Amino acid sequence: MKLSDLTDGTRIAFGNVGDFASDLVSPSLRLGVTGLSRAGKTVFITSLVHNLIHNGRLPLFTPHARGRIKRAYLEPQPDDDLPRFAYEQHLKTLTGSDKTGSDRQWPQSTRRLSQLRVTVEYTPQGFFARNIHGGKLHIDIIDYPGEWLLDLPLLNQSYEQWSTATLATSTKAPRDKLAKNWRSFTQTLKPAEPADEADAVKAASLFTDYLASCRDDEFALSSLPPGRFLMPGDLEGSPLLTFAPLKLEAASKAPSGSLHAMMQRRYEAYVDHIVRPFYVNHFARLDRQIVLVDAMTALNAGPQAIGDLKTALSDILASFRQGENSILSSIFAKRIDKVLFAATKADMLHHHSHDRLENILSLIIEDAANRAQTTGAGFDVSAIAALRATRETTLEHKGESLACITGIPASGEIIGTDKFDGTAQAAIFPGDLPQDPAAALNGSLQDTLHFVRFRPPVIKAAKPLQPAPALPHIRLDRAMQFLLGDHFQ
Amino acid sequence: MTRKPVAFRIEDESPTKPPSAKAKKTATRSRRKPRAIPADEMVIEPEDFDSAPMAGALEPQATQTITKTIRWGAIFFSAFFSLLVMWASLTFMKLVEDLFARSQVLGWIATGLLSLAGLAALVIILREIFGIFSVRKISTLQEQAEIARNNNDQKTAKQVITKLRRIYADRDDLTWGLAALKDHETDIIDGRDRINLAERDLLQSLDEQAGQIIASTSRKVTLLTAVTPAAILDILFVAAQNMKMLRQLAILYGGRPGTIGTFKLAGMVASHLAVTGGLALTDNLIQQFIGKGLLGRLSARFGEGAVNGILTARIGLAALDLTRPIAFSSELKPDLTDFLKNIVSFKAGSDENVKSS
Repeated sequence: MKLSDLTDGTRIAFGNVGDFASDLVSPSLRLGVTGLSRAGKTVFITSLVHNLIHNGRLPLFTPHARGRIKRAYLEPQPDDDLPRFAYEQHLKTLTGSDKTGSDRQWPQSTRRLSQLRVTVEYTPQGFFARNIHGGKLHIDIIDYPGEWLLDLPLLNQSYEQWSTATLATSTKAPRDKLAKNWRSFTQTLKPAEPADEADAVKAASLFTDYLASCRDDEFALSSLPPGRFLMPGDLEGSPLLTFAPLKLEAASKAPSGSLHAMMQRRYEAYVDHIVRPFYVNHFARLDRQIVLVDAMTALNAGPQAIGDLKTALSDILASFRQGENSILSSIFAKRIDKVLFAATKADMLHHHSHDRLENILSLIIEDAANRAQTTGAGFDVSAIAALRATRETTLEHKGESLACITGIPASGEIIGTDKFDGTAQAAIFPGDLPQDPAAALNGSLQDTLHFVRFRPPVIKAAKPLQPAPALPHIRLDRAMQFLLGDHFQ
Repeated sequence: MTRKPVAFRIEDESPTKPPSAKAKKTATRSRRKPRAIPADEMVIEPEDFDSAPMAGALEPQATQTITKTIRWGAIFFSAFFSLLVMWASLTFMKLVEDLFARSQVLGWIATGLLSLAGLAALVIILREIFGIFSVRKISTLQEQAEIARNNNDQKTAKQVITKLRRIYADRDDLTWGLAALKDHETDIIDGRDRINLAERDLLQSLDEQAGQIIASTSRKVTLLTAVTPAAILDILFVAAQNMKMLRQLAILYGGRPGTIGTFKLAGMVASHLAVTGGLALTDNLIQQFIGKGLLGRLSARFGEGAVNGILTARIGLAALDLTRPIAFSSELKPDLTDFLKNIVSFKAGSDENVKSS
């Protein structure tokens, strides 16, 4: 155990003691929402909050279905130093600004941590709940990019270890082609020579380009640490992000003033100033976690993307503090006691295939799941659509019946020879998902599947004197029951 | 041939052509592997392997090792009963004839009475047959629901829901639950969740009433065992009360067992108790304590009464398992301790204390 582990542990414990004390009087639940970029985090949170506030159709969310939830509303969040999740703005983007919703679109991806507090008033059941806090639960939703989780393993890696590992992965297909520019430049650098800032900047920018190209739709790779290189925010250009792996001799020491020493120092600064504060202040205090996975885009891109997603999710899971909470452990070291893996955008697929989608997701997170189960954390896999953009239909085509979905495909989507303009409605048959999920990894699915992105659905305006309809969804209620249901005591 | 992704342009708002029956059949077919076997030689099961119904998996099939011999006992009884019926009809015919001989009016009255009796007998027989069928219907429904729940099978779940709605269609105490069920009929819900929803919306309110029936019966049994003077009366009384409870429970959950149906149910309860009895070790400890221990010291009769009451509650619990169209999900299953308090406490209105599980 390193000293930093010890001090981190102490700081987390102090934070948790504070949480425990305030939970006694006004209970709160910290729900972490994460996923790699474009997995649908923003839409998920928006739809969850909207359905809670607007009394959505949630038959499987028991407290709601039994009529025990009196009302839900947004409140100022507890952490003043975090940006607020821009719920109203995202909702407006999704539903469009006018009545017909002609300019509705999916929200821009968020690139930073944000928080939103929903307070739910409900009819309490227990003695304690009735008399002490009177049936009020604060749900603090913490939204953070999954890429940041990929940084957490860096806490335990030295610069040399990280450098070697990153160089090794960059030689594997399909990364080798994308990394060519950066690697050839790295070969020319001499780590033991005195540092030159221009070299460092060039290496870092080539490295960033390589990471960015890996993320393109065509390849859809996921395992790309360090995460801030792709979403720098206001750190862009700072020395914290101006480092790159170097080709190092085994067991070489960094002479002071050398390029190696500079890179090492910046790497350590990155870990200390970016990774560790996130871990201690936010991540280690979560109660529940939902990991959103966009299996559709990966399936579109092919087996390499699926394989990479699998690696990334295993890495992510390695960092979770899972396990059953006991009273003592919840005071000192909070652990995530329930994790839900959700394959999002299930509305791109007929519900007959949802089982198979869940099977594929189960295979992708296999390693992660095994870990979660041995630590005693509750664990579930579900195919959901936080905002359902399609309807289902069965069409007859060349003598066979096809389970199709209809909706308005996003502009620029292509299937076969058809290109969509974003206004025409179409029925899409995306192909059969394999019965054996292993087929998704071994490449036998080539060209048999294609999922199309749809535009958000038109939300009908409220009828006079009636409450506004909540956003339509698939299995959002099931996810809510799993993540929140047991806290309404 | 593998199905490639296709897109269809939609011009108007109602794009769907209703699929033909044949097309519907192919829709459920599993994914085809390219060119493994010529299509016309292939026989494909309509279901995926893992969701194949496991009907009959709940009880082992009896192997047919016993060679069929002539069942003399059955022949004896059927012949004997046929004779009995013939004798009875002959006697009645004679009676009617005699009455006609004596007076036209009396003869007609007797004929009327006889046909009325015949009609009543017919109705009773029909009702008993229906009763037996309804007991059987509930148990097949239970089996189906279990399949849907365990295999997360959407299709079976929908069938179960349809059947449930038919059974409870004329119950006005379930209107709310039926409406709630209908409300999410078209939503995309997993088979497992659909069954759980039906359990919550429809059956939970019935469970509450069932708990009250069981509790009040066992309390009655306890009290009356304690005050009846003779042991033989005890036995008769307990048996009658238990049969009444079984019948009430079956009716509550939508079965309509007649007398024979109730006896059949009693038989099923007995075998159910024999199977599960071994697991109820803790209950026996409670019985020891209450029957021979504290209460027994206070009053021997009352101790016996308490034991009988507990027995009744156990029979009631077993009957719940058999008469409920959907087996209890683990968190809703009541156990004996939920009733114990009510058996030994005789406050007025303690019916309300029964756990509403």
